[in-house]
Amino acid sequence: MRKQKRHLIAIMVLTALTAMAGLGAACSSNNCPLDNTVTCNYYFYDSDNNPISLADTLTVSVLLPGHDTLYTYRLVGSNTIKSRTRIDSLVEQGYREVVTITRHDSILINRVVNASYFQLPMAYFNSGDTLVFDYFNLSNNDTLYIDHTNMPQVNLPECGSYMFHTITSVKSTDAAIDHLEVVNPNVNYEGKENIRIHFTGTIE
Amino acid sequence: MPIYAQEPGERPKPTLYVVDSLNMEQKQTFFQGFTLSGDIFGPIQKFVSDYGVFEGALRINFKNKFFPIVEAGYAVCETTNEDTQVSYNTKAPYLRAGLDINMLKNKWQDNRLYLGARYGISKFNYDISGPAQTDLVWGGSKAFNYKDISTTAHWIELVAGVQVKIWRNFHMGWSVRFKSAISKGRTDYGTPYYIPGYGTTTSGTCWGATYNLSFDLNWGRKKNPTIVNAVVHPVENENTTTRHPEETKEEEENNKKTE
Repeated sequence: MRKQKRHLIAIMVLTALTAMAGLGAACSSNNCPLDNTVTCNYYFYDSDNNPISLADTLTVSVLLPGHDTLYTYRLVGSNTIKSRTRIDSLVEQGYREVVTITRHDSILINRVVNASYFQLPMAYFNSGDTLVFDYFNLSNNDTLYIDHTNMPQVNLPECGSYMFHTITSVKSTDAAIDHLEVVNPNVNYEGKENIRIHFTGTIE
Repeated sequence: MPIYAQEPGERPKPTLYVVDSLNMEQKQTFFQGFTLSGDIFGPIQKFVSDYGVFEGALRINFKNKFFPIVEAGYAVCETTNEDTQVSYNTKAPYLRAGLDINMLKNKWQDNRLYLGARYGISKFNYDISGPAQTDLVWGGSKAFNYKDISTTAHWIELVAGVQVKIWRNFHMGWSVRFKSAISKGRTDYGTPYYIPGYGTTTSGTCWGATYNLSFDLNWGRKKNPTIVNAVVHPVENENTTTRHPEETKEEEENNKKTE
């Protein structure tokens, strides 16, 4: 009877240790997403909601936070002088001063042809993104204003931190764009379509 | 006492008996006391890894078959990934309630093989921190440090385990648990990495284990009736094989004397 009990306890201990080893092994896998880039995904449609590829050459730039100030000094008979800082002595000499303030910008998509969609990151610490569409065959540009909230994310420490966004509102100018439509306001690394850009006209 | 039909001076012939098993089942007392237990695996797990639990349980014994149980514990998780330097910290209580069923056919013995189910809940706060987040496109950088994010998680568990008597009212046993989250308590900052009482949230389901040392507070529990208190009936059929235990003893003693 005692022998049987000892055997029973020994079996119990061994089974428990095996199970615990198995549990430890099961927890060592890496579960991070393979594609973990957080982007807002824009897709192109005509005004009748048909997906299209844009025939025109498109350049997309974004306006960044901060400004550039440029001081231009002109005097008849003298060379034009440009400076990023103000030069008081030139004004005293009779130069005419012109101050130009420009937003920082950055081209993120350069001269893409036949695009049907594009993916762009959103600003981590601003609540509004401004995108400028420059068409090769159109003299006017379009500007898109995307308002959003930002939320830092950690799911697994091994995967690091991310910044997710929620789109709250969108609007645009109408040089070539008919209207914008938010189909999924949650911007994360799942790669889902977020914004539909409906261009003026139909493919038919 | 059995009644023997015999001639004067003749050695009594044994009468055959069967144990009335149905009657045995009915003799089990409904309420048989409490079991207090503590988990040994959780503290060891905390000692060798980034997380672990300190857990105790109170179980009620109904007929040595049904065991309603409440498990309460305090979980600690303090982890920092070496590659990403992202940290996750939480210290919080949790509660589980459910039922175990003793699957052994003989309910009179002290060992138990049980299957059960649990519902678990934990309301907890957690902290996440890591390297500053830097926006490479739009510019800017901000510290990544968020404290006391509050949430509540719920889950269910299927439990299988054994429990054996080691000395008097002390038992030892283990259980393996399959856990499935009803709600992982997702917040604006993401899904919590570790839920107290549930475990890590790396996938939709999770496995867990406990190794328990328990103490039975018996309450009106009777000993095995097959030895002491069996209800037996005489049977006329000679093919019946079960004999009354006292009669077997008596026969053995007579045999010894004859030898």
